[in-house]
Parts: sequence; C-alpha cells; structure tokens
Amino acid sequence: MYRQARLLGVLLLLQVVAMVGIGAWLFSRFDWNRALSITSGSGKINVQTVEGPWLEPLAQALLFVVYFVGPVILLLLAGLGFLLFRRRGWMLASVAQALIMLACLFFYGASRPWFAYPIIAYSILMILLLNSRSVRAVVHRRRLTPTEARPEIAHGE
Amino acid sequence: MANEESVDAKAAEELLRRFEPVIRFTKGEWFYPMDCEPYVDACSLWVARPGEDAVCVVPAGELTLERLPQQPEDTTGAVHYLKIPNPKEEENGGRRVRRSHTNPDWPKETFRAGRGRLARVGYISRLADALFSLVLLARGRVPGGDVEGGRVLYGRFMEEGQRFKYHGHVVRQDGWIVLRYWLFYAFNDWRSNVFGANDHEADWEKIFVFLSESESGEVRPEWVAYAAHEETGDDLRRRWDDPELEKVGEHPVAYVCAGSHATRYSRGEYLTELAFPLPRALSAVRRIARRFWYVTLRQYADEDYREKPYEEFTIPFVDYGRGDGWSVGPGQDREWDPPRLMNPLPSWVSGYRGLWGLYTRDPFEGEDAPAGPMYNRDKTISREWFDPVGWAGLDKVLTRAEELEVIIGRQAEIEERRDLLRSELQEKSGRLKALGMDAEATRDRSHLSKLHENRTRHIEELSREVESLREQLSDDEVLAESLKDHAESLRGGERPPARAHIMHPTRPVSEAETRAGRVAQLWASISIAVVLVTLILILAYERSHLLSALVFAVAVFAFIEAGFRRRLTRFIVSVNVALAVVGALVILEQYFWSVIVLGVLAVGLYILWENLRELGS
Repeated sequence: MYRQARLLGVLLLLQVVAMVGIGAWLFSRFDWNRALSITSGSGKINVQTVEGPWLEPLAQALLFVVYFVGPVILLLLAGLGFLLFRRRGWMLASVAQALIMLACLFFYGASRPWFAYPIIAYSILMILLLNSRSVRAVVHRRRLTPTEARPEIAHGE
Repeated sequence: MANEESVDAKAAEELLRRFEPVIRFTKGEWFYPMDCEPYVDACSLWVARPGEDAVCVVPAGELTLERLPQQPEDTTGAVHYLKIPNPKEEENGGRRVRRSHTNPDWPKETFRAGRGRLARVGYISRLADALFSLVLLARGRVPGGDVEGGRVLYGRFMEEGQRFKYHGHVVRQDGWIVLRYWLFYAFNDWRSNVFGANDHEADWEKIFVFLSESESGEVRPEWVAYAAHEETGDDLRRRWDDPELEKVGEHPVAYVCAGSHATRYSRGEYLTELAFPLPRALSAVRRIARRFWYVTLRQYADEDYREKPYEEFTIPFVDYGRGDGWSVGPGQDREWDPPRLMNPLPSWVSGYRGLWGLYTRDPFEGEDAPAGPMYNRDKTISREWFDPVGWAGLDKVLTRAEELEVIIGRQAEIEERRDLLRSELQEKSGRLKALGMDAEATRDRSHLSKLHENRTRHIEELSREVESLREQLSDDEVLAESLKDHAESLRGGERPPARAHIMHPTRPVSEAETRAGRVAQLWASISIAVVLVTLILILAYERSHLLSALVFAVAVFAFIEAGFRRRLTRFIVSVNVALAVVGALVILEQYFWSVIVLGVLAVGLYILWENLRELGS
C-alpha cells in the first residue's frame, strides 16, 4: 500500500540530488584560480571592482542557488517524509514543484538555460505523480471520505 | 396510469387526514399553503398569443374556480395565465406591507440569510451569478411590483381569515395507494426575499405518501416523496423507517425552504445549483479534457467534481430549509384546515391548462408561473399526475403485501425455466458429441474434407449455443438461490437497507461550512468587483509587464480565495496543473521534433518489450 509513497520519496530525493548536482556543476564552471589570483590569496572577491564575462558563471550559479535552495530543502523534507513517515510531505512536495516550475518558466524567461528543460520535464512528471489517484489515495486517506454536502442540480424552476 | 375511480371521497379524506404532513417553515417566510379558490377569485385571466400583446379574458372579481376551465380553445402557442392584482389597485394604494403591523397573525421575523451563498462558491460561479443578474434585466422576469402585489394579496387573505390548507388527491397505481398533498402558495419570492434564482406568481408544491394495503384492507405507509425543484426518481423518496424521515405520530415532517418552497427531509441550508446548457462544442472540449486528465493520466478528482455533468454550467443558490419558523400540521402551532379534496377530480384541475400566475415569456421558464397540479407549463400532463409511482422511482418496488407473493411466483417461473434449459442443454450436448464424433471420423480424409468442414462449422455454432445455455442456467441457479435467501429474510421480518436506493442524497451544508467569518463574507461580496477593477488597472498601467502582472494578480486572488474556503490543497493542485501545462508547451515548442521522435521511440520500445515478453512466456 505504501509502495507508492516510498517510490515518491525516492523520486523526490533523486530530484534533490539532480538539482544539487546541477548547482555544483554551475559552480565548477567558475574559474576559482583566477578569482584567487585577483584577491591575492586573501580569499575574498570584490565583485563590484572586477568586471568581465568570466564572472557570468558565478552569477548564474548564485542565481540558481537563490531560486532553488528553498524548493530543494522542501523536496528533501518531503522525500524524507515519504520514506520515513509514509504519508507526510505531500503538501511540501507540491509547493516545491510549483516553486521550481515558476522559477524555470518565469524567472529564467527568454534566457532559459539548457538545464531548465530537464528540470521542467521532471517537475511535470512529479506533479502528475503527486496528483495521481493512487498517491492521493495513500497520502490523503483520512481526508478523502466525502463530508461535504452535494449540491442539487435544478433546471429552471 | 394512476386510477382514482376506486377511491371514494370519504375514504380519501380519512386517509389524507390520517397521514397529513407536518410542515416546518423558515423564519421570514411570507407565504404559506392556502386554498387556491380565494386566489383565483382575486385574479384576472389573460391570454398571450404569439406575437401579440396579452389580452384580459376575465377581469379580476369575475373569475371563479368554476369559470376557470371554461375557456375556449385558443390558437397554437397561446398561453392562458392568471394575474394577481396590482398593489396600486388594492385598498392600501401600494403601501409596503409590513407583516407585523397589518397582520398580527403573520410571523414578525424577517429573513436573514446568514453566511451568503457567494461565500460558499468560487470566482467563476460568482462571475456567472453577476452575469445571471445582468441577463435577468434583459429576459422576462416578474416585476418587483408583483412581489409587493403578492404580499398585499396574501396579507388580505390572512386578514379575511384564510388559514392553512392543502389540496388532497388519492389514487391507486400498481398496488400502491398514493396520497397526494398539493400545496398552493400565492407567490414564490425566492429571488426577491431570499436571494434565490427566481420569483413567480403562484407556486404548486407536493408531498406524496405511498401506502400498501393488506388483504384485510389495512393500510400501511411505506414511502414518502417530497418535491424539490425538478428532482425525480429514486433520490426523491424515503422509506417510512428511514431515520432521515422525521415523523410526528403517523405524520411525516417536511422542511419547506424559504421563498422557493422546495420541500426537504432534514432541516438545514441546501446548495442548489441552477443548470444551464453549455454550447455543444464547449461541452465536447470539456469532456475530452476531463477524460484525458482523469482516465488517461489517472489523476485524482473529488467525487463531486468527477460526477459533474459536462454539458451544463451551474450557478449556485441556497435553499434555506431551517425549520425555525412556523410549524403547520397536527399538534403544531398551526393546524391544517379540512383539505380541499380533488376526489372526484374537479374541472378546474383537469380543464384549466394555463399558468396560475404571470407569464413573463422567460426563455428559461424560471420566472413564469407554474401550471396546475395536472399539467406542465407546455400543457402536457405532468408525470407526477399520471404516473406518481414512476415519478418517485417506485415502479420497480413492490408493496410489502405483494413481496412474498411475487417472490414465490418468480421462483416458480425460474424453476420452470431451469427445467427447460436443462432438457435443452442435454439434447444439444448430445448433438454436440455426435458432431464431434463425425468430425473425428472425417479428419484427414481428402474425399471427406467438405463434410469435415461442415461438421466443424456446426460444432462451433452448437458449442456457442451450449455455452450460452450453460451461462443462463448458471445465472438462474444463482438467482434462485438469492431469491430463496431473500424470501427467507422477508419471512423473518427483515428489510433491505432503507437508503440503498439513494444514489445522490442531497444533504444540508454542515455547520462548519455555514460558520464563516465576516471577512470571508465581505470578501465574497466584493471579490468579483475587486478582481475586475484590478484587471482593468493592470491593463491600463502595467502593459509592459502584462503577463507577469496578470499571473501574479490571479495567483494572489486565488490564494486568498483558497484560504477563505479552506481549499489550499485544491489550490496548489490547480496551480501545479496549470504550470505543468505551460511547462509541457514550453518543452514542446523548444524540442518539438525531439519530443515526437522520443514519443515514437517509446511506443516502439513498448511494443518490442510486449512482443519479447510474449515470446519469453
């Protein structure tokens, strides 16, 4: 019965790993040696006084962190929630997917980098999975019994 | 077909009085069940012919119940209708009626809606409601003066000593004795008094009680059916022992909703959705989209949403059946007067096919007055009149007196059929074996190949027949067994579950739902205006960031709404779905051919995998 929940947990943690991986790759593109040489070994980079296209990877990496650090934390909590507590974490996972999609669709805008597409694709799959009947039946088991009154349909009179 | 010939007037009245309902009204109700005669006496009769102005046929003061059906046949499409007098022509000269002052017997309380209906529904419905109100200005409707006229008229009736009366009619149909209580109200002021969907002059509502009769002539109440709007069928009726059906002695209790006079089994507030048909193309798109989402993608949906019809668009209204007003009936604050009997059938019922109040030419008919008990607005005979048993879905239900007799007959019938099936099966099985032997004997002999083919074909046909017979026999055996068990349980006095027939029970909204903060109510009232103004401001001043501003505004409004209505989960799902759709389009736009190639590849791999699995097994 909880296989779906565990599978979901694993998939969410995989998403965390992928996002962290992309973040790490973005930071790795930055020329840290050049930065160190500019700071003369002091360990601090004064970005305001240093210009040039070589700083773009760093800006992109920092932007990635700003956009995705929150959702990744939510994903991590949700993934662990599904794995350890079976039913907890659906709302966190859903909010995280919404934030990720929003970041990919709106904030990246026209300059959408290549990694936005796999992230969007994975998020779509996760949204479908999170809203699938089998998953909702497990995570919202107690809530799904109908309690609300059903409206009556009248025609004319 | 309902048959009244076998019920004489005295017996009919006795039965009607024995089971007459107790009716509980909502505080603030203006109109109560009354005798239709003084109403008709006060009205004028009009006829509206297609393309012509309406003409007064009988002026007010000259019309009587006897005269009502004596109207000559008119041209096709002509509509006869009654019209209540204009309040300005009344004695008080159009003065607003204050029930507590002019009529000491009229309830003093005014209606309070409580939590507004709009707070219970979303933006789309609120927008539709605003449009509905605007459309009402264009389509035919009952003028506000007529509501006042109805109140003046009813106030006058009460001052003249008019009390509470129903119109009773008793018929027999399919073994049932049907007691029909027709309740006549001078006005339906659901829209103007209770913020409902419509107003109309005159209102005919009904409560039916279904009795069974034993061989000794003893009657027993078994079912009741209360009319609410246009409901028909199984959901309409309740069994006499249903816990939902409240009773005072042998009198069923009904809760009448304020203004609309819809009748309910339990006290409470009911969400009623007025349905309008969608254009065919739109409903087709809706059907395909929902099918893809819920069936193909197996996405989750609330039960109530899944069952919503594709072809209709609905606007919500609230029916207030609180039962906190007057109570009319045996042993209550107000008792029924002796009923107006409709056995034998009076001519005003069968002879007058027109409307009992103003004909507004409303295309949705909601504002047109109803026809009498016997007819629909289009002058056809109503189902509840000619087939009350079918109207309540009882045409497939046996009376308790009939049950055992029918079950024994059915058992005998099945036993007989089983004997026939067995002998037929035996005969055909024998033939099948003989054919099998023939086919066996003619196999692999070239000169007998045609004969072999012929025999093989016959074997196939006969095999199918034998299989079908065995299935029938098996079904009959199971059925006979079930009937036997059912007969035993009936003999032991057991009854099937009282509510098994109810597929879509209408329930009042829960107390938690009706308890909303003032901020939520205020928001519900102003939200549509705020949304529209915001959209206009964005269009006027934020054109450079139009899309982002619109998305942001819509998201904020939706979030506020979801919070008020405690539907954050549904909100998150909706946002995610919208984002998923946009995301899918973005991917498709960027990688169209790659997506196509990948899709074809996936299908190819799937087919390959299936074939390999089959090979392996």
